[in-house]
Amino acid sequence: MITLRKKGLAALVTVGLTWVVGFPLLITLLEALGYPHGWSLSSFSEFVHRVDEWQALWRSLWISACSVVLAAVVGVPLAFVFERTEFPGRRVLGVLVALPVALPPLVGVIAFLFLYGETGFITRAVQVVAGMETSPWRLSGPGAILLVHGYSMYVYFYLFTRAALARLDHSVYEAAAALGSSRVRSFLRVSLPLLRPALAGAALLTFMTALGSFSAPYIFGGGFRVMTTQIVASKLNGDIAMAQVESVVLASLACLGLWLMRRIDGGNLAVVGGIRGVTPARRAIRGRPARMVAGVLGWGLTLFLLLPHLTLLLISFVPPVTWTVEAIPPVLNFDNYHSLWMAPERLRPVINSIWMASLATAVAVGLGLLVAKLSLDFKGRFGRVLETILAIPWAIPGTVFAISLAAAFSVHSPLTGRLILVGTPWILPLAYLVRSLPVTGRSSLAGLRQLDRSMEEAAVSLGAGRWRILRRITIPLLKPALAAGASLAFITALGDFVSSIVLYTYDTRPISVEIFSSLRLQETGVAAVFGVLLMLVSASAFLLWGREERA
Amino acid sequence: MMSTFLSLNHLHKRFGELSVLKDLCLEIGEGEIVVLLGPSGSGKTTLLRSLAGFETLTAGSLQVAGEEISALPANRRNFGMVFQHYALFPHLTVGQNVAFGLEARNLPKAEVAARVGEVLPLVDLAGFEERRIHQISGGQQQRVALARALAPEPRVLLLDEPLSNLDPALRKKTRRQLKKLIRNVGITALWVTHEQEEAFYIGDRVALLNEGRLEQVGTPEQLYLEPASRFVAEFVGRASALSGVLQTDAKTVEIEKVRGYGQPVAWMGRQGSPDDSGKVIEPGDRVALIIRPEGLAFADGSEGDALNGEIAERQFAGEATFYRVELAIGGEVWVRGGEDAGRVGDHVWVRLASQGPLPRIYAADQDRVE
Repeated sequence: MITLRKKGLAALVTVGLTWVVGFPLLITLLEALGYPHGWSLSSFSEFVHRVDEWQALWRSLWISACSVVLAAVVGVPLAFVFERTEFPGRRVLGVLVALPVALPPLVGVIAFLFLYGETGFITRAVQVVAGMETSPWRLSGPGAILLVHGYSMYVYFYLFTRAALARLDHSVYEAAAALGSSRVRSFLRVSLPLLRPALAGAALLTFMTALGSFSAPYIFGGGFRVMTTQIVASKLNGDIAMAQVESVVLASLACLGLWLMRRIDGGNLAVVGGIRGVTPARRAIRGRPARMVAGVLGWGLTLFLLLPHLTLLLISFVPPVTWTVEAIPPVLNFDNYHSLWMAPERLRPVINSIWMASLATAVAVGLGLLVAKLSLDFKGRFGRVLETILAIPWAIPGTVFAISLAAAFSVHSPLTGRLILVGTPWILPLAYLVRSLPVTGRSSLAGLRQLDRSMEEAAVSLGAGRWRILRRITIPLLKPALAAGASLAFITALGDFVSSIVLYTYDTRPISVEIFSSLRLQETGVAAVFGVLLMLVSASAFLLWGREERA
Repeated sequence: MMSTFLSLNHLHKRFGELSVLKDLCLEIGEGEIVVLLGPSGSGKTTLLRSLAGFETLTAGSLQVAGEEISALPANRRNFGMVFQHYALFPHLTVGQNVAFGLEARNLPKAEVAARVGEVLPLVDLAGFEERRIHQISGGQQQRVALARALAPEPRVLLLDEPLSNLDPALRKKTRRQLKKLIRNVGITALWVTHEQEEAFYIGDRVALLNEGRLEQVGTPEQLYLEPASRFVAEFVGRASALSGVLQTDAKTVEIEKVRGYGQPVAWMGRQGSPDDSGKVIEPGDRVALIIRPEGLAFADGSEGDALNGEIAERQFAGEATFYRVELAIGGEVWVRGGEDAGRVGDHVWVRLASQGPLPRIYAADQDRVE
């Protein structure tokens, strides 16, 4: 039963949600069209006539497409190995392999820099072994960007494919074998078609993430600009109108990508048709030598995947100006940690990041739950509208949102819904909130959809009112889903670089901006310490999520 | 009949174009147990959910002890409900589950604890307060659900197929316990099931629903022996249908010959109550003769009113054996007989039993079940 009060609440929530999600995008579009100084397509015309804009657009597209291929090539075979075979340490390795997804992109980028950059471990080692005068390679340009993308995004394919494989019914393979199908034929004609929704889901996620990727292109790109870095460059050059046009183009591209992928797979992404049955038994690798080889390969691979982060940890112990030409750092101590601890001003980014991410996460969880509940209560068209608004910040790249928020909330005009938030401590939590809403909203939706409706009805029949049901039944039962959403939202906000670099002020600078500043100042040890701190807090949140999910 | 406590007046419920409850009227006495019986999709659960307040009725009124409650929200009706899958709160203990409804009424803590302590022994779960829901068996969960519903002392208890989650052996034991408990508490109860045996065991009266209408409300005996419609006759217990023509005495039916051999006979029956359409059957009309297996017997040979046929199926059911006989004139009947009355393939003669219930006569177009 939908009461008048609930309708009022739904209207209020829709207005609020539209204000923070849709309104900034609308302002960006309007200002790109010349508002309020008269309508004009001149900025769009300039965009169309500039070669560098077309170049950036084309690069964004092919980098994203190549990232999908690269991530699939690594992630899908890994999923088959971990889901279909049994070897020593499979369980632990299976979890470790998925770890890059829980780490902030910027941390991955600087870890790569310390490992494969001009002065990185591997680079120096190769240089020393080969007796070269200069560094054997430079970590820059599209190759570097793709390397980082492939490294951090294969996890989507790995997780999606593993989940789909775990749900596949073994009897379909037995049926194929009974009909005379060879193993290769069964893979091509049975496994792959059944995995198609999962693969399409992973491809979409990878493509959208790569399209919106900022940290890797910003740090490794140099003169090789993609759309996200082009937008920030235009903004830093003071060409706000062009930054807005670029944002509109990138946002349209993202929406087109989303629409296309949904069309290709009938909107049934990442769902493997509700197949029930027995999961095929893992093929145990028999024979001691073979098991040893599999174990060594597995652990070796994991070490390779974790190497960037282990390097980051090591670099955090290298004191300033002590490591010059040696292959291995000559001095390791706690100087970097100590210097940070002794200068409270330098700890400010940590405090900033934690309070802003916590505030954004708390509001995102509450608002996500409210929107999810309303969208399920109302169902129909209104429910779909709410879910769409909730999904927008996921599809639209973070850079676009940052530019939009900067445009919408830098003018004082309360009657048109515009306030000055840029330059205040509230703009970054707002940006984090908007970016976190799809995560918290979707986890709440998933949780609520799994919740047996008769639980709430039982509570009603026992005389409980709305708030008692929410407090005593709904929230406790949704705790795992809420915790999952909260920890992911917190990790995302804590490590955010893309919105922060556009919207921060000196007083509100978060960890990611401080890492970037330290790198610019050649303070690699300090940057590594901040990276390690980010990793630790993110990993703690990740573990908390895991614990709640098991509970 | 006891005085009316719960009154359902002309209830209608539509989901879009689909009419799920159609002009449903029912009066239930205080302390009475009424079972809603019917096939899947007949509207039983919708009726129960409408009474609980989870569905809004399209039309009609509901009264409890003379008070109109159809506009009251579910949490203010003071109806207890036992759900099909129990809907126990998995994150709360047994004691906390039972206390939930009492706390919702803002009772003092001591009173809540005392009431929980009173209710759990009623369902043989004294000392289970601290157990988690996943630590107790299905049967125990069932009883916790009942205790939770009874703890706030509701005016009416609603039970939605409460035994369907239990295995057959436990189901019989639990239904005995539940009936005893509901009787002892003396609460007015409405119990939904699609199992006839359960309905007959539990209910003081059974209300048979079909396509959103009440076909008949009565004691189990009335439903079995005096079915108000052909649907009731065929849904409740085992019955066979033969078509024929009503003779001038309005009691005898000449059985119709469907196939081309065998001799048709005239069998005596009696008319059921006029159905909802109020159709009156007249001599010369085509009718359906509904016969219980115990209303038929095997004959020694070709007697005047016997039909010949062949045993097509034999079902041993413990206390009795049932034979499905395919008649030479077409059609088939179920006959209750001795354990060794015949074997499949035997040629037999069937006649009306001298002691059994007389067949019922219904209008031939009243063929909702075939």
